[in-house]
Order: sequence, then C-alpha cells, then structure tokens
Amino acid sequence: MSLLNQTGSVIAMNVRSIPQRLWMSLATVGSIALVVAVLLGFLSLANGFNQTLKGSGAPDVAIALRDGSAAELNSVVSREQIDLLGQGPGVRAGPDGRPLISAELVLIVDGIKKSTGTKANMPLRGIGPNGLLVRPQAKITQGRMFTPGSNEIVVGAGLLREFSGFELGKTLRFGAQTWKVVGVFEASGTVFESELWADAPVIQSLFKRGSTFQTARVGLTSPAAMPAFVKYVKDEQRLQLKAQSEQTYFADQAERSGLIIKYFGWPLGIIMAIGALAGALNTMYASVSSRAAEIATLRVIGFSGFSAFIGTMVEALVLSALGALVGVAICAVGFNGLSASTLGAGFTQVAFRLQIGPDIIGQAVTLALIIGLIGGIFPGVRASRQRPLLALAT
Amino acid sequence: MTDLDLVWKNLFRKPLRTILLTVSIFMAFLIFGILTSLNVALDRASESGSASNRLVVSNKINFTQSMPYAYINRVAAIPGVTAVTYQNWFGAYYQDQRTSRFVGFAVDPETYMSIFHDDARLTDAERKAFLSERTGVIVGKSLADRYGWKVGQTIPISSNIYSQANGRRSWDMKISGIFTGAKPTDPTTAIYFHYDYMNETITFNRDQVGTITVVTASPDQNDQVAKAIDANFANSPAETSTVDEKTFSRAFLKQAGDLNFIVTMVVSAAFAAILMIVSTTLVSAMRERTKEIGVMKTLGFSSPRVLRMVLGEAVLLSSLGAVLGLGTSAFILTGLSKSPVGSSFGDLSMSPVVALSGLALAVSLGLVTGAVPALSALRMSIIEALNRG
Amino acid sequence: MSALIQLKNVKKTYKRGKESITIFDGLNLTIEQGDFVAIMGPSGSGKTTLLNLLGGTDRSDSGEINFDGERIDGYNEGQLAGWRARSVGFIFQFYNLMPVLNAAQNVELPLMLTKLSASKRRANVETALKIVGLWDRAKHKPKELSGGQQQRVAIARAIVSDPKFLLCDEPTGDLDRTTANDILGTLQQLNQDLGKTIVMVTHDPEAARFAKRTLHLDKGVFAEVTQ
Repeated sequence: MSLLNQTGSVIAMNVRSIPQRLWMSLATVGSIALVVAVLLGFLSLANGFNQTLKGSGAPDVAIALRDGSAAELNSVVSREQIDLLGQGPGVRAGPDGRPLISAELVLIVDGIKKSTGTKANMPLRGIGPNGLLVRPQAKITQGRMFTPGSNEIVVGAGLLREFSGFELGKTLRFGAQTWKVVGVFEASGTVFESELWADAPVIQSLFKRGSTFQTARVGLTSPAAMPAFVKYVKDEQRLQLKAQSEQTYFADQAERSGLIIKYFGWPLGIIMAIGALAGALNTMYASVSSRAAEIATLRVIGFSGFSAFIGTMVEALVLSALGALVGVAICAVGFNGLSASTLGAGFTQVAFRLQIGPDIIGQAVTLALIIGLIGGIFPGVRASRQRPLLALAT
Repeated sequence: MTDLDLVWKNLFRKPLRTILLTVSIFMAFLIFGILTSLNVALDRASESGSASNRLVVSNKINFTQSMPYAYINRVAAIPGVTAVTYQNWFGAYYQDQRTSRFVGFAVDPETYMSIFHDDARLTDAERKAFLSERTGVIVGKSLADRYGWKVGQTIPISSNIYSQANGRRSWDMKISGIFTGAKPTDPTTAIYFHYDYMNETITFNRDQVGTITVVTASPDQNDQVAKAIDANFANSPAETSTVDEKTFSRAFLKQAGDLNFIVTMVVSAAFAAILMIVSTTLVSAMRERTKEIGVMKTLGFSSPRVLRMVLGEAVLLSSLGAVLGLGTSAFILTGLSKSPVGSSFGDLSMSPVVALSGLALAVSLGLVTGAVPALSALRMSIIEALNRG
Repeated sequence: MSALIQLKNVKKTYKRGKESITIFDGLNLTIEQGDFVAIMGPSGSGKTTLLNLLGGTDRSDSGEINFDGERIDGYNEGQLAGWRARSVGFIFQFYNLMPVLNAAQNVELPLMLTKLSASKRRANVETALKIVGLWDRAKHKPKELSGGQQQRVAIARAIVSDPKFLLCDEPTGDLDRTTANDILGTLQQLNQDLGKTIVMVTHDPEAARFAKRTLHLDKGVFAEVTQ
C-alpha cells in the first residue's frame, strides 16, 4: 500500500475512533472553542472601536486645533483665526458661497452609562450651520435639526444606545439651563454618533465662552488639496494652529486606544491557549494509549510509523478545527454587533459596536490550529514509535 | 501510610497526565488571580484616601466645568462644614505630552495640607517650605523616582490646557518636598502646587475652581450638608452637585467600562474550559481503576471512605494547580505594581480576599470534577468491579 | 474443632430482565477451623456465587450464614465491609496488587482498616513478608516482580491482619506449574504451621490435591470427594 493510501486509511481510523473517547474529545473541542471565543471577543472589541474611530475621518476635511493641543478640550480657536483659515488654498465654498468651515467647541456634560448605572462624560458639541455639511456620513433620522439660536439639541443614535436620559422629546437640564431634544441623527460607524449637538453661539453664551471656539473643521475641494492647506496653516504666523486631515487625526487616536485592548486580549488568549493545549495533549496521549493494541497490530500488518504519526496529528487538527468553528460561531452569534462604550481620547465616551472581521477571525483560528498542531505532534511521535507487536502485555 | 499517602500516590499514577492537568488548572487560576486582583484594585483605588466624612463639590453639568472662586467662602459658611479646600485640574505633563502626563492639581496649600496631610505625607520642614514658597510644588515619591527629581530642584511643569500670557506652556516650579501616601501601596503619581501661582499667570478661566473638598462634622451629617450646599447654589449660573468622596472616585473609574462584567466573563470561560478538561479526564482515569476500587472494597474499605479518597484526589489535584497559579499571579502582580502603568492603580498586590476565594474555588472545582467518578466508585458493586477486567 | 463457617439452607436467585436464575436452593455447608477445603465445579455451577457469599461481597436471599458464631446474612454494606476487614484474607487469580504501591505498602493496605500504630504496622508487614520469603523485595513495585512473587505478596497481604480465614479464587490460574506448586505449598504451610483455615475455589485438580478435602459443586449442589 502506498504511503499516501496508508496515511489516508490511518487518518480515517483515527477520526472514526473519536467517539470511543467521546467526552475527552468533546472537552478538547469545547476548551479550544472557549479560547477562540474569548480571544475573538477581545479582538472584536478592539476592532469595533478602531473601525469607529477610523471611519469617522473624511479625507477631504481638515481639522484645526491650537498648536500643541492634543485634544479638542484643550484647544482654543478665535473668530479671527477662523476667518484666516477660510483664506487658505483649496477651501471649498459652501452653499452660501462662503468658505465651508464649521467652527466648533465641545463641553462635557453628565449622562448615565446604562451598563454600570454610573455617571459618564458626554460630549456636548456646539456646531455651526456647516456642521452637517462637513460630516457627509451624518443625517437626521428622527425629528429635526435644532433651530439656530434656540436651546435645542439633537442626539446621536450611538449615544442613545449606551446612555440613558437623552431620548427624543426629553427636556434636559445642564446647570441652570433647560434644553430640549428635538432630533436624533445617525452617523453609523463614526464617533459623531456618540455626541450631542447644539448651536455653537448658544453654547458659547450660556457657558460663558465669549466668542471663542476649540476647533475648526474645514471642507476642502478634494483630498489632494490637503497637503497644501496643512502647509498654509503651518506657515501662517498669525495662526498658531495645527491642521491635519480628519482621517489622520482619528487614525492617531485609534492607534493609541486600540493598543490597550490588544495588550489585554492577546496575553489572555495565549494563557488560555496553553491551558487548552495541555488538555489537548492529554486527550491525544489518551487516544494513542487506548489504541495502542490497534496501532501495534497495524504495524505488524505493515503500516509505517509515519502513517501512525500523521493519523494522530490529523485527529488533533480535526478536534481543534471543530473547536475553532464553534468558537467563531459563538462570537459571531453572541458578540458581533454588541453595543459598547468606553472613555475615548477626548475624555468623553465613545459608543461603538463589537465587530468581527476576516483578519481577526484568521488570527484566532490560527491560534486554535497551532494548539491542534502541537497537541498532535508529541503524541503522534509516541504513536509512530509503537513497536509492531502481536499481543500487548497488560 | 495514611489515606492521604494513598491518594497522593494515585494522583501521580500517570505523571505526565497529572502534570498536563495541573498546567491547565494553573492557567485558569493565573487568570483568576490577576484579573480579580485588578478588579479589586480598581475598586480599592476609588476608596484609597477616601475618608468617610469628606464630600466633593463639583459643577452640576460635569466635573470638568469650573465654579467661581467665590463659592469657597459660601460653602465654608454652610452649617456642618468644618473645613474646606479646593483643587484645579492642570492637565500636567513633564516634557512630553504623549508619554509623561500625570495627576497635577493647583491647590491652596494651607487648607489642602490641613485636610490631606495624611494622604500626602511630608516632613515638617518640607511642609513649611511648601507653604512659604509661591512657586513651590510637592511631588509624589513614584514620580520623583521615575524622573530623578530631588528636593530643591526647579522643574518645568507644562499644561495641556493653559498657557501663560507670554505664550509659554510651562511653569517653573521648585520642589518643596516629596510625599508618600497613607499606606505604602497608595499611588503617589501626583503633584500639588500653588493655586495663586497658576491663577495669576493663566490667560483664561481665572478665579475659577475645579472641585471643592468639604469636611463635615461627622459622616451622618454628609447627606444633609450635601443637600444644603447644592440648595445654596441652585438656580445660579453654576449649579453644584455634591457627593461623598468614595462615590465621586468610583464613578470616575467606572467610565472606562464595566470591568466587572468583562472579568466575570473571562474567568468563567477559563473555568468552564478546565472544568470540561479535568472532569472528563478524571472520569476516564477512574475507569481504569474500577478493579482496584473493587479490591479496596473487598478488603474492607467502606464505600464512604473510598468516596472520600476519590474526591480527595480531585481536590488535591485542583488545589495543586490553584496554589501554583495563585502564587504566580501574586508574583506577577507585585512586578506589575512597580511598572509606571501599574503604580497608578494603587495597591495591586493580591488581597487575602482574592487568595481565599481562589482556594475556595479550587476546592469547589475539585468537588465538582470529582463528583461523577466518586459517585460511581461509591455505588460500584464489588462483583461487577472485579469482573470488569 | 469447632465449626468456623456454617451455611444453612441458603438460597440465591439472580434476575436478568424477566428471567430468574436460581443458583442455590437451600445450600448447606460446614467448614471447621483449621480446614483446607478446595471447591471445584464447572462454570455455571455456582462457584463464583459461593465465593462471593463466603467473602461477604454478596448477600443471600434467605438462609443463615454463620462465621464463628456471628451471623452475617443480615448485615448491610457497611457492616459487611467491617466484617471482611477483620475476618477474611483474599487471594485473587490476578493478584490485584496496586501498581502505584510497592510490596510493603500493598501488604500494609488491610492494616489501614485497623487502629494499629505505625510501628506495629511495620512489624506486621515485616512478619508477613518474611513468612512468604519476600522481605528483601519489600520496596519493589509489582511491575518489578514475577507472577509468582506478586501472588506471594498478595498472600502476605491476605494474612497481615491475621484474619480468621483465607479465601482464594483460582490462586494459581495465571501461573506455570512450578510456580503454582510453590504457591500452593505456601498455602499448605499457612494451614499446617499457622493453623489458617483456607477455602480455595479452583478448576485445577492438581491444585485441589494440596487441600485436605475437595467439594464438588454442580448446579448449586455439593458432592464430596475426600482425600
């Protein structure tokens, strides 16, 4: 019998014998499934958060902050600086013919986080008439936009999911003023959905900000116009601002925040994987020893040691592949799309959804298969070393 | 030879198998030890330094909004208030904004030290220096160690919020003292300096305070004083929200997310996995010993005694892995608490509560995984046992 | 010599599903102290059942089973276990030693059911192993001993707590002729020199010759052949 045929037969025998060690094999599948589910869970958490941040930036919108400020809260931009920005190269004209700039400022207000029931920081952003225009992904889906000059607020759909107290029609009190929620907007897969929007001048006056803003979002004619605009802002002495593409701005934040979850998830996954590996080795050694007589007989007949090795390896890989499948299924059905929120770079909450994806699935499945591989190698070597015997001494 | 000797020898019947099982159990308890301790540390961090009769007054909109300086005297006048101080968040960093940010508050040294003297411990000389030097700053020991700061040294502290009139973002401050916490494990990654020095030089937000700390006559007056303070400022442009210190810290720490939930899920997953692995292996291992159990019973070992030995073996196995896992996690935690990230968590060492619950978990794990094989050993009829082989 | 073992009108029936198989329908048996009895019979004769009744590992449906004046037919599981520990020494066909223990520890097993001190136990183990001539192998594990040696360790285990009688189930079934005769000689010695009462179930007529008398069991009834 050719080596290939031999190996094929042994593999078939190995796999068919799994029901004899049903419970231990199931335990191996189950424990590997849990490893995959936990790892994938964390990776989906990080992935979802990252995607939300990355998806928020538009390549043709430049965001300008005070030079040296890493976050909007710490930035100051004046009226005069806004006008100067409008004179930059590549700035698109809005529907009113004037430069498309949204001068904005963010305040932090309190909301109640649904999952913990405790207070959390919500961003209340004052935007101008161009606020929606520089955010092509956003649109009002319920109610209407706030009326300029009024104490009206629109709330992001993501914020509604994760925090209580901001439902449509509700009257809110921030400090001494009352506000009314008149609309809900969606900007799926972006951080904007985690915000409350109101009219900038109203915010400025009620929170005593004079006429200063914190950031300016400038719409450019095309992504290609970005480098020239950034350079203009850098060189212009009167500005003292720093401009960058919104995409870069959010990509930076994504990089910094995603690391924490990754540094947590991977070590955890590996520790669990070692535990599952020990279990898999156990199962496979038990498989080899319970089939010792069978293997010995096969060797007598003429099967090679190599085929015994491969048979064991494949048995281990089959178990771990099944485990991976179950683990991915658990994650896809149970975790994918789950809503979550955490403290973002701006010191305010960012609402996002856990998101599974092909590359992270690939990573988790690879871990499972590595467990199967190592779990099969050593017992496989033992199987291949089984001497051909007509009868095994007990 | 005692029953324990017998149980121990049986445990290592197939050494490789026992070692592999111990590795699995070890990993689960490693995860348990580290994650639960992190969770506990976070909870503890919200309580470290919290006295039961201290309240925090902040702007009702959010604690990042400030309140007028004039509030301080008004709060001091409320009945039940025995001491008042205030702090302003500075957004402090040293040289590099990205890597060297830490807690930095502008305070009124005299009232601050009189209330927090136990939580920021200084020598008398250091305290005197701090009170008299306008540009003085006291730094926590961890920070001093990290940057090699010495008393008397002048260091530039930058702010990512404020700038001076001359455009400079950093303030030169002279180190008056290096403070330690009430407990050796309390975090000391903060600096405190003069409010006046900051207030006179910043370009906006002058004469404002961030939070006000209030000491009440006794804890049972907390509620009443808090309500009185908030009533005082109701319907003013800056309304207040006053809560006790513990509640304030805890809410802040919970912003990152429901760590409790995540820890519970992960630890449960890890234990579900080892439960499956260990129980199925023990069942299979016990099946090999059916005849031996039959012999033991024949010799005269009572069924309950045999049950105890089988359960004992399972409990011994899980305890072995548990002790190793918990011990290793305690070791890792001590290492973590020395790292820059870890030291801001405060007391990361394994608390007795975590250790004890870990051991209780180990015993339960042993009982559960040993249950099926133990019961079948209990019920086994001698005749069947001896025939099976 | 007084009657050590007495069975009076013992009945035993096994139920398999709807079928009932009667093994004994009023069995009587008397064994005196100091006797060495071999019990032979074809398979299905009730040998194994008798063995289990004598050893207290099975219970009769009715009738009396007396040991040295003690009636054990009404005992429950726990009482039987205690009775076995003090009264019977077992010797099995396949030795049934514990592989994780060495010879001395295997012999010590029955002593764990007594309240003897550690030093007394050590002394008893030494005596027992010396009687079977294996004191020099005390620290060896079963896998390091031959079949005959293992059986002798089993014999030592059977006598270490000085039980009232020894019950042997095909003690030489797994051994070659020479070793078998060795073992049987040892049993004879125990019977003649130490006065141990021995009941031996066997299918081997050569082995039966070492006993004082042989009882033939067929379909649950005795027929005697004296030596």
